[in-house]
Amino acid sequence: MEQQSPQQSDAEKRRVIIRTVGLKKSYIMKGVVTEALRGVEVEIVTGEFISVMGPSGSGKSTFFNMIGALDSPTVGRVFIDEVDVAQLTAEELAYLRCHKIGYIFQSYNLIKYMTALENVTTPMAFGGVMPDEARERGMELLDIVGLKDRWHHRPIEMSGGQQQRVAIARSLANQPSVLLCDEPTANLDLKTGQEILEILQRLNQEKGVTIICATHDHRMLDICDRLMWIRDGMIERIARREDVHIEVGTIGGESN
Amino acid sequence: MNKTIEISDQPRLSLPRTVRITIDGIRYRLFRAAVTVAVIAVAVAFLMNILSESLIKRAVAEDTHERVERSQFVHNWMARLSAPGTIEAILKELASVELTSPIANEMSSMSGLSDAEFARFYENASAASKCFAFFADLDYAKRRNLVHTAVSVEVFKRLRTPDGLEQFEAILPTMKSLRFPLSGEELTAFLQAWPQTLAQAQNVQEGRKKAIAGIKAKRGQTAILTSLADAEGQFGNDIRAAGFHFDGDAVAPVVAEQARALLDARRLEKSMEQKTTRQAIAQHYNILPADVNVILMWKYLRSKKSARTYLEKMEECEVDTSGLTPERLTILANVRQAEKALVRAQRLTVGTGEGWMGLGERLSWLLLVSMMVCGIGISNAMLMTVTERFTEIATLKCLGALDGFIMLMFVLESCFLGVVGGAIGAVLGCLIGLGRMLSAFGPVFAGSMPALDLLAGMFIAVALGVILAAGAAVYPSLKAARLAPMEAMRIE
Repeated sequence: MEQQSPQQSDAEKRRVIIRTVGLKKSYIMKGVVTEALRGVEVEIVTGEFISVMGPSGSGKSTFFNMIGALDSPTVGRVFIDEVDVAQLTAEELAYLRCHKIGYIFQSYNLIKYMTALENVTTPMAFGGVMPDEARERGMELLDIVGLKDRWHHRPIEMSGGQQQRVAIARSLANQPSVLLCDEPTANLDLKTGQEILEILQRLNQEKGVTIICATHDHRMLDICDRLMWIRDGMIERIARREDVHIEVGTIGGESN
Repeated sequence: MNKTIEISDQPRLSLPRTVRITIDGIRYRLFRAAVTVAVIAVAVAFLMNILSESLIKRAVAEDTHERVERSQFVHNWMARLSAPGTIEAILKELASVELTSPIANEMSSMSGLSDAEFARFYENASAASKCFAFFADLDYAKRRNLVHTAVSVEVFKRLRTPDGLEQFEAILPTMKSLRFPLSGEELTAFLQAWPQTLAQAQNVQEGRKKAIAGIKAKRGQTAILTSLADAEGQFGNDIRAAGFHFDGDAVAPVVAEQARALLDARRLEKSMEQKTTRQAIAQHYNILPADVNVILMWKYLRSKKSARTYLEKMEECEVDTSGLTPERLTILANVRQAEKALVRAQRLTVGTGEGWMGLGERLSWLLLVSMMVCGIGISNAMLMTVTERFTEIATLKCLGALDGFIMLMFVLESCFLGVVGGAIGAVLGCLIGLGRMLSAFGPVFAGSMPALDLLAGMFIAVALGVILAAGAAVYPSLKAARLAPMEAMRIE
């Protein structure tokens, strides 16, 4: 395990949680090498809310899978909490995915045959939480997303927005340090999308969860701390929201 | 100093919870699961059907052998009491029984040989019988190469000539597939003793001839079958007095009864020559009297009502009906049906007893093929089930599932499906097999169904279904579990 201490004189809570070094990923398809990422270097600190923007095919999703330990990079390294992901065994990776990262997908990806509560408690079961405690915590989480009275419903009996809220509750099951959202509002209408964003914002502000969010949704600009643009597998630009604010007009046009 | 996350290994999910999640999954996808179960059930049913039919055939074949032998007592005795049999037949008969058996005793006393001599004769008869069996199995070309055109006992005569033996011993080693039952020394000793053996066999033949002549004198002009109908009484004593071993308790009543039945049957078949009786049957089946045959008559007599009518018709045309009652006719008709069933069973079970588990060459091959069909069908069904759930696998991995959990989940699922499908298939296949075999052999054999064997076969079939299903699930689920979550999601 590598232990570097980059510019880290800040307080403990502002430490770097995700760091990438020279991240490259290439796919070989029908003999043609496609470079999805071409050297991405980024640092994300705890408690941040980051929006990742970029046109489709820009390598945004690939970047997400890398920092979420869902895929391995061709070259380069990903450090999550200063642990090199490439060096982890299958069990340790499972532990990492279970405890440190929460995933929210564009298409919710709930387990179809489980009730809302079971969906939320499954990661806890994987993490070794006792069933009674898991049930209790699962109900609390469902309460946070406002679905306490729907706990026994299956995904098929819920609307898209409700399913996404269950997915958010599930991603919080083991109190992860990072929440990775892959276009969480893309399949939802404006109003429910707004609700989801509000929940995410609340989680970020009240619980201090680090949120990294890939999105095309310009409303994200209003709530995030930093913005990151990816284009052609490279980071085009990273900026704080305050700095971007004036340019919303141009950027909005570009990123929509 | 900077804090690092403490990565410890994931705890394993307990088996009951895994089972619960698996069952929830199956219940949610009940229709899909039902299709998979159906595939497994059909495959296992196919396998079980072949297996059960083979087992039943084997059991029936064993049973038939005994029953046929018993049903032919009267024919055997008719033959024994009218001709002494050839030398070959005598040697074979002796070799097929124990030295101390009643038949051997009978031969011993008829031949007038001393005990020691007879024991030697018995040894040589066994060797001769082995040789007969060996030569009987040969095709014509091989046989001609080995012993030229000699047949039966002539073979030994030829082998005793120097030329004959030389030819035989020169050519036998070139026929690699053949195994001669006697070693070189045994053959030499046997051939040396052959004239003696032949003389002794002729002694037996002579003794029998005398005994048969004695019996013939006793029964005078009466036909042998008619005499045998009295086998329990005086005629039985005559047979014993002539020196034959004729068991008064076990064999005589059976022979007498069979002789009477045969006589009655002949009388009935003869009564068909009468116009009136023919007409009665023709009317019943609504055909022309000219088309009535013996088979129809026996079928007709199976019901007591038609038997009564038939008996009346027989009396009408003054045929001898003494001792015949409608019940007797019905019994005769049914016995005849049972005998027919026996003959059919014997024909249908030809060739069983060879091949794997004694199931017969053809059936063991069919069994192998059906196992392959079963395996491929189940593999395909499981493969579909796993591949269509790649997204779910990926999601579970994102939530922190271990590879082992995913494997276990799928193997468990396929085990459940395998058990259910296998059980349904085994019962179904067994029932179909039973039904088919019972209808082929007739209800006479209901008692000879190998229940225990069938049960064991069902267990084997279910186990095979489970193993094949679980085995087929291992590869795709292993592949799915090993994939990085995002790869799995992309494959979908």
